Amino acid sequence: MVRQQVLFMKEMNDEKCATVQSVQQYRSSRMNWLLRNTVLALALLLVTGCGGEVRDDYNDSSFELVDQNGEAVHFPGDFHGDLLMMGFVYTNCPDICGFITANLKKVYQEAQSGSDVTYVLVTFDPERDTPEVLREYAEAFGMDASPFRFLTGEPEVIEEMMERVGVRTQISYTSEGDDGRVNYLLNHSDKILLINRSGQLVMEYGGSMTPVDILLEDLQKLMP
Amino acid sequence: MTRIKKTAWYGQPCVIVVLLLLLSGCGGEPETESPGLSGEITISEAWARPAALGRVTAVYLRGENGSTEADTLISVSSDVAVLSEMHESYEQEGGMAGMREVTSVPLPPAATIVMEPGGLHVMLMQLRQALNPGDEIVLTLHFARSGEMDIPVIVREP
Repeated sequence: MVRQQVLFMKEMNDEKCATVQSVQQYRSSRMNWLLRNTVLALALLLVTGCGGEVRDDYNDSSFELVDQNGEAVHFPGDFHGDLLMMGFVYTNCPDICGFITANLKKVYQEAQSGSDVTYVLVTFDPERDTPEVLREYAEAFGMDASPFRFLTGEPEVIEEMMERVGVRTQISYTSEGDDGRVNYLLNHSDKILLINRSGQLVMEYGGSMTPVDILLEDLQKLMP
Repeated sequence: MTRIKKTAWYGQPCVIVVLLLLLSGCGGEPETESPGLSGEITISEAWARPAALGRVTAVYLRGENGSTEADTLISVSSDVAVLSEMHESYEQEGGMAGMREVTSVPLPPAATIVMEPGGLHVMLMQLRQALNPGDEIVLTLHFARSGEMDIPVIVREP
């Protein structure tokens, strides 16, 4: 394309050196050249900019989940029409997962957006993270109301969903309290997803390490 | 003789200056301390994330060793939790995050340790009470040399 433009400009330079009669033709060619390049630039912007690239489409799946209030939720179907910012956490992880959770809250606070953005946190530790535990967790973070939703589900459903969205987990550490209760920690993917109104993945981020400004900027590109 | 008298004449103010320096400098700190050191371990900016009863939270803080002797933070405890441990978060290949227990944190002379989100932190597990924003709890730090130190920790959102 660059080579064609160079040749085209060379042709225009040749025209520029031609007779006075060709000035009109030159102006016409220049207009065409500007028009053509403007169209090309706009096309490039549409392809590469505005977070428009779809990286995955989750509509080949439907996961039956439950939120912190015990309400059944299907992902991605029930979220069609909403922009989704989705993080993956477990509530026994107060550091990295607390970081991810707080990041979503900060994006919401900074965005001051309309009603079509839902901030979702899905647990990958459903055995411990029941709806009640998620509700308490949400309350502790001051996120126990719309537009925040905390989701859990049957262990096998969560396992399938984590596989589908590329979140990996692995038990890394166990310890026993004075009361005999066994606590365990998980190694896990550190991830936040930005999903468009059609259930398609637009962007994937390091959940705890991505500056809120970047999350916010990409989210706002998808807003009307 | 003259030379000796001259030396004595210049020597008097020098002695006074040295005496003044000794009286006014260092605030009476032991001679072993370096200038600018407080001579003790100081903890500041201690805060914890809010959490529900029975759950888990993280405590973050900044610790400075103002003495000329090395010390080591060997354990932590708090009445508000069944289990209190020092942990460290880390990133692995492939975007995986993990957390591991840290059994001791060295604090060399004049050094500062920073416990912050995504790194070193104190884990309080199986909380005996809910931690709400504005609450203040006590965390006990156990140092190998300095012994126990109770510090106030404010509960707040990040």
